[in-house]
Amino acid sequence: MKRHVLLAAVAVLALAGAAQAQTWALKAPIAAKPAFLTTVGQSADIEMVKVLLDRGAVPYTANAQAKAGDLATSGAKTLVVVLGGSTKGLGAAGISAESELDRAKALLAEAKKLGMTVIGVHVGGEARRGQLSDRFIQAAVPSCQYVVVVAEGDKDGFLTRLCGAAIPMDKVERISGAVEPLRKAFK
Amino acid sequence: MPRPGTLRPRTSPIVAAIAALLLLLQAQVPAQTPLNLYGRGATGANGVVSAAKPDASRVGIEILKMGGNAVDAAVATGFALGVLEPNASGIGGGGFMVIKLASMKEAVVIDFRPTAPAAATPDMYTLDERGRAVGKASVEGGLASAVPGEVKGLLYALDHYGSKKLTRAQVIEPAITWAERGVPVTVNLAQIIKDNFGKLKRFENGLAIYSKDGFPPEVGDTIVNKDLANTLRLIQARGADAIYTGDIAGRIVAENRKRGGILTLDDLSGYQVKVRTPVTGSYRGYTIVTAPPPSGGTHVLQLLNILEHAGLAGLGEGSTAAAHLWAEACKLVFADRAAYSADPDFVNVPYTGLASKAYAKTLAALITPDAVMKDPVAGDPSKYESGSTTHFSVMDKDGNMVAVTKTINMFFASGVVVPGTGIIMGDDMDDFDLKPGSVNSIQPGKRMLSSMSPVLVLDPQGRPFMALGSPGATRIIPTLAQVISNVIDRGMPIQAAISAPRLYQGRTGSLSLEGRYSINAYNGLVALGHTVTVAPDYDAAFGGVHAVLFDHAAKTLHGGADPRRDGQAAGY
Repeated sequence: MKRHVLLAAVAVLALAGAAQAQTWALKAPIAAKPAFLTTVGQSADIEMVKVLLDRGAVPYTANAQAKAGDLATSGAKTLVVVLGGSTKGLGAAGISAESELDRAKALLAEAKKLGMTVIGVHVGGEARRGQLSDRFIQAAVPSCQYVVVVAEGDKDGFLTRLCGAAIPMDKVERISGAVEPLRKAFK
Repeated sequence: MPRPGTLRPRTSPIVAAIAALLLLLQAQVPAQTPLNLYGRGATGANGVVSAAKPDASRVGIEILKMGGNAVDAAVATGFALGVLEPNASGIGGGGFMVIKLASMKEAVVIDFRPTAPAAATPDMYTLDERGRAVGKASVEGGLASAVPGEVKGLLYALDHYGSKKLTRAQVIEPAITWAERGVPVTVNLAQIIKDNFGKLKRFENGLAIYSKDGFPPEVGDTIVNKDLANTLRLIQARGADAIYTGDIAGRIVAENRKRGGILTLDDLSGYQVKVRTPVTGSYRGYTIVTAPPPSGGTHVLQLLNILEHAGLAGLGEGSTAAAHLWAEACKLVFADRAAYSADPDFVNVPYTGLASKAYAKTLAALITPDAVMKDPVAGDPSKYESGSTTHFSVMDKDGNMVAVTKTINMFFASGVVVPGTGIIMGDDMDDFDLKPGSVNSIQPGKRMLSSMSPVLVLDPQGRPFMALGSPGATRIIPTLAQVISNVIDRGMPIQAAISAPRLYQGRTGSLSLEGRYSINAYNGLVALGHTVTVAPDYDAAFGGVHAVLFDHAAKTLHGGADPRRDGQAAGY
């Protein structure tokens, strides 16, 4: 009997832990569909975020090198930015880090002007951090209304500090774990 | 052993509570740090294998323990790497192998580099304004693939230089075991799959193998490849014919053409391994034996020759003067490489001149200690004429030496996986000059230029001393020269020589230093006029050297493996 009580207590604890892991920073959806997906830093992580949005049933248009002018014509209500830089990606796109920063800033300013919700997603982990990536992250996060991060990319608390109290942020352990918070962020 | 259902598990509540807590905590444990500097090297009195994956090195050691020779071990390691490091090499690619068995007077080079299909033409790609193939056609999809050489190359080596004590089936079996058991996903592999996830999605067949629940697998997951295991079983049974003729050949051609390629059954059945005479030279009394064009070995030797003439050994380790010399010598070597190197079966490559001491002396004279060359041009070696990737090295106590560098080119290559076979088709066509009119332009049946440079080094007494090589595209050439210099000029143990900070300089462009280079050297190079970029402390872009060194005095073999990637040596 005593053993059953203890096992039940363990089960409750485990369930409580699981339930706690499913508590998200947003209390209600903040973003309208459809979304416009782009990168800030030209990383290949955009391919994983496409899967996340597909799984979350969020319709989107993707353009890794979108210009500010593309937002208005897209009809999108929410801008999803994939955070983190890639030297290889920048090279393949034929643009410098400075040009990419300029593009991102213009895009984010335009999103604000159009009243779009901006959501930042960082799924690249530790490899998508460092001098290059952090410049892009610093440039984009302050414009976000919500950020989802795979925890390995925030070991040093850099994204947590950037979001502070003003920007709701959720951390997930695996990339696949980002489906749910993103789904719940959309109305 | 209890039968299922006959024994009721008696789990202590405390144990259960701890287990549940551990399960919860496990989800919170962050991924391991990408860099692990420990346990990379190995020593052995009998044999050492150094490869890009620890399990692959152990495969080679087991073959040696079974009575196989260094070639048997190399072939087994090669097949295993195609499973354990699927992003870097495999059945859809090819490479170069340098063999010197103790019984051989001269070393031999087995060239199993892929070959342009018969329908290939110099202008087969439409190029954009930056000279790249439109739609990434030279690196992704069917048109990126050449005729693969891996299986014919590895089995040629086994048949002609193996011990004959082990069967083909025994040598291939470990690769099958790993394909069925599953490959551990390391930090390195997880990142590579993430970086290439878009490509794998685009050609969908690979997703079934290299994704988990629709996402890239993460650290700690395993990748099982039953299709590849079945393909390897067919090779066990039928040899190279299993790939180059019959059902699998048909599947390769069908998938390649479905993805826009031009491969034919005749291309596959007609593929031939080339046995080449090595390029041989010396560096400060040590004999350097390496693969001739289309491999990059000639230029490793050329670089060492220039450095010898310019007195690198007398300059301070990691100093401005030494780094400046490396940078300037690299510029000259890469200028020559672009001008002259190609498939010697199609182009008259002056590789004897390129590798000659006399020619290197004229190049060394162009380097000044206080000025930076802005636009180096190719020299004229003809008058001195007299006559993406993985690397692993094997040496044994008898002095048998094998160095193998092989590739499918870019990580995950063309992205095209042949259905039901587990084979990733290479994208080696991108190693041609995509514009007509160059020595390395595309021609049917031609082999594309490569930087792969497996190297064997003999000591001044002519004894087996070192086997080494590296992946890393054009960085291979200066990387190998730096490791050789670290051992010969600086007296470093092999692991230290591999781990030491590296630099890279192409013909033009900035000089790239790993972050551990001293600030004094950085400042000195900038003051000399170099444009310097600083890479991470340990940057995988600088290659992944895997080497074995024979300490004859101690009668011990030392393996060194590169912490920049997943390398680890094994010995016994």
